[in-house]
Amino acid sequence: MRTGVFFCQVEEGKNININAIAKYAANLPGVETVQILGTKPRLDAKVLHDLIKANNLNRIVIAGDMPGYYKPVFTKAMALAGCNTDEVRLASFQEHGASGEIAMDRAKATIACANMAVPFSLVAVASGNPVNNATLVIGAGIAGIQASLEIANADKHVYLVEQTGTIGGHMAMFDKTFPTLDCAACILTPKMVAVGQHDKIHLLTNSRVTEVSGNPGSYRVKIHQRARRIDVESCVACDLCAEVCPVNVESEFDSKISYRKAVYIPFPQAVPNAYLIDGESCTYVLSEGKKCGVCVKKCLKECIHLDESDKDIDIEVGNIIIATGYELLDVGKIEEYGYGKYPNVLTSLEFERLTNASGSTGGKIVTKTKRLNKRTKQEEWVFMPDGLPPRSVAIIHCVGSRNKKYNSYCSRVCCMYSLKFAHLIKEKIPNVNVYEFYIDMRAFGKGYEEFAERIKHEGTYVVRGHTTSVDMVNEQLIVRGEDIINDKLVETKVDMVVLAVGLVPAPGNENLSRILGITRDIDGWFSEMDYNGNPTITERGGIYVAGVCQSPKDIPDTVAQASAVAAGVLGSIASGIGIGNLSSVTLSEIEARSKTVHTL
Amino acid sequence: MAIRINPKFIDDIDRFGAEDVQLCYQCGDCSAVCPHADDTFKFPRKPMRRLQMGLERKIETSLEPWLCYYCGQCSDQCPREADPGETMMSLRRWLISRYDFTGIARQFFKSRATEILAIIGIALLTLIYLYYFSFSKGNIHIYDGKGAFLPSPFIHEFDLSVGLVLLVFLAINAFRMWYFTMIKGIKVHVPWWLYIKHILTFPWHFFTQKRYAECESKRNTKIFMPWIIHLGLMLGYVIMLVLVMVFIEDLQYGPEIKWQAHIFGYLASIGLIIGTIYFINLRLSKTAYVQFKKSHSTDWVFVVLLFFIVLTGVAQHIFHRTGLIEYANISYVIHLMCVVPWLLRMPVSKWAHLVYRPLAMYFAAIQRDAYKKHEVQSNSFSISVK
Repeated sequence: MRTGVFFCQVEEGKNININAIAKYAANLPGVETVQILGTKPRLDAKVLHDLIKANNLNRIVIAGDMPGYYKPVFTKAMALAGCNTDEVRLASFQEHGASGEIAMDRAKATIACANMAVPFSLVAVASGNPVNNATLVIGAGIAGIQASLEIANADKHVYLVEQTGTIGGHMAMFDKTFPTLDCAACILTPKMVAVGQHDKIHLLTNSRVTEVSGNPGSYRVKIHQRARRIDVESCVACDLCAEVCPVNVESEFDSKISYRKAVYIPFPQAVPNAYLIDGESCTYVLSEGKKCGVCVKKCLKECIHLDESDKDIDIEVGNIIIATGYELLDVGKIEEYGYGKYPNVLTSLEFERLTNASGSTGGKIVTKTKRLNKRTKQEEWVFMPDGLPPRSVAIIHCVGSRNKKYNSYCSRVCCMYSLKFAHLIKEKIPNVNVYEFYIDMRAFGKGYEEFAERIKHEGTYVVRGHTTSVDMVNEQLIVRGEDIINDKLVETKVDMVVLAVGLVPAPGNENLSRILGITRDIDGWFSEMDYNGNPTITERGGIYVAGVCQSPKDIPDTVAQASAVAAGVLGSIASGIGIGNLSSVTLSEIEARSKTVHTL
Repeated sequence: MAIRINPKFIDDIDRFGAEDVQLCYQCGDCSAVCPHADDTFKFPRKPMRRLQMGLERKIETSLEPWLCYYCGQCSDQCPREADPGETMMSLRRWLISRYDFTGIARQFFKSRATEILAIIGIALLTLIYLYYFSFSKGNIHIYDGKGAFLPSPFIHEFDLSVGLVLLVFLAINAFRMWYFTMIKGIKVHVPWWLYIKHILTFPWHFFTQKRYAECESKRNTKIFMPWIIHLGLMLGYVIMLVLVMVFIEDLQYGPEIKWQAHIFGYLASIGLIIGTIYFINLRLSKTAYVQFKKSHSTDWVFVVLLFFIVLTGVAQHIFHRTGLIEYANISYVIHLMCVVPWLLRMPVSKWAHLVYRPLAMYFAAIQRDAYKKHEVQSNSFSISVK
């Protein structure tokens, strides 16, 4: 083979010296020419074709941080030169974790693999370590629950760590799932109960991972558990304490559209089914025991211990599963949509709670009503069960997603949940007009396209054209946009706007990546080992990713990935040998192995 | 009618300044945010789409690029950073080169070197011409009157002949514009009386640039500044052009210049000086407005050459008034060396928008009326707000 190595878009500085790598590449077997094309080059297929012809190349290796971007132009050039277009190989530095101390070796290794036409993940395998049987799962959303259940059902011990007071995560907030319109709680709550009752699952709510040390197979983990101040075993969730609690706080579980007390249970089906006290708002805790304390007197079971303090727990585990999920983009910074300025502009999660039967309006979709807050003496807009139903609703897709200013990626779930919203609104309110403003309808899954068609047939106006702004004229929300298919500029009067806000990584991910020593991609999602071949394991041995914390995905994909992770964990426990750290694999090892694989 | 597609069109436009058209994914944000887009003329999304598809003819016969005053809101809000505002600007450049029948404009827009060499060449030719026909006859110590270095009747004739060339070129180009947009570009019948009905649109937009002001009024920052400065620059320029073309003998004859010439001359100079300095500064700073972030080479030639003309003109006046006749005459020669390429360049450069823009408003008003007659009411759900 006569190979040409082309460097495109390499971020210099970050421990990468491009000239040294180029020198290394030039000495690889079969490499005829090495070209450094600079950052963000504008490439012309004709010029590349001339280069290929001049050097008589029949394999191209594109090396750089994002080489895939330049693949089309090289493929074109190869086709022009009459060569096999499959021989355009990529050596992606960023994707294969070329950063930090190992940056140079890793960059060289990716080029060596690409030159040999061997997948990097196939040869870069670290030798195993003996594995502890216990597993730590961080995050108890649907991914964490699924993975925990799979492992615990195989009779292996699981520590499930959750930072809020209950397990369930975002899925517990949802009303229906797309495209089947099953009730989300009907799928989730049996699993939650199974987790709560499982002998092998040690549930640690209100907790965070603060420190991880040790090697793959035997990690020592320090967990900080904030004081719940209520005994989980004896609490019967009778609600007497919350009745007397004087403190009102916006409910996180209800997306802050309703209020809860300082002693609260996030939702009635919570697991563990016990109340907890929010130390950041409880009068007794804030005044250090000088004020209040009425809930203690009211509690019949005597399970409230307001003076309980936080504690640290040390555990030893063999594998760690990260399933920390996501949060919504802060849509307040997209000023055009008037979120926070106009009362009836909602985020998707707010709407999800509004339409949920366990929400503050009992599942009735209403517009906000103005009311006087007796405590602060200020007028505020709230959802009341007897509020007016909206006559028309606009649902705006791609809010902050596929937008170079916010998230350049597609959040993957918004199109479908927006269509689901349209269905729910149509179902609950007669004669309502629902407008879906979309850019591209990404109905990619099983039954999704059919679902989209169904929503269109239900009479929802599905408008191709992203809206540019939401304005208020005479107390009336106006949505401005272009209807591209009907070739019209539209100004639509609506009573409610639902923003299909994009997903961003959960706020704790940055800290967690530091604690665990794993990498995140440019958008903040955890990096998997190999997107196609190994989407569940990370570079660090014995640390797995599941669910949205790896990349945005819908519930079926999340559950599937969680089960796949469980399979990997159980495999390592069964064999007693886990995967080691990839960073321990040296360049010469990779070179040698790639040669063996190549000759096979 | 078959639709012709030019697959190279997008590469061609790249040279005129629109580099990021391919990034556009047709969300329609730009059209919706544009203060000037309406149901007859929707932009910038539609021209962007036509560009991506290579519909050269459609763009050639469209008026949309001229209706945009480049407030930059579309570029601000574009989720793909495809810079629709700059695309519209590039389309205007491209249209100038299409209206120009000589093909010179195209060369100038595509090659900075050609343009600059042409300007220097014409400046030197002017110098040679003046040397053989004027310098030799006059005395450098005399500014005007008998035995003058550059006698005003001679300059007047010279001006008028250059002006005539300019006018002929411009008329042909404007005719081509009319033919493209009003004959080839419209599918409905245009009654002749519509041309008379809307005749006032041309002077109205020429002298007020109302749509530029509308553009600015939607922006929150530094309201109306570029519009006022631009208007001052344009009016100053037009006044100066009239003075130079018609009243040059009054203007040059000293020491007592007529007070009318004086007042108008000074006003025009102030407008020109402030305007050129303001826009050069904006183009240099790059941060104040999105529309001045990217500057094509022709934009620079435009402001810088105009700035030199104003500078030498003012210098010549000051030297003349202070009695430094030799310096005044030398400034005058340099002034003419700048003015002649400038004037000859007019119909093939950015300058031509002085004519094309109000003309486009005029044509657009006619087209709107013509389309209204043929419009079929569709059952759209849209509700317009007043």
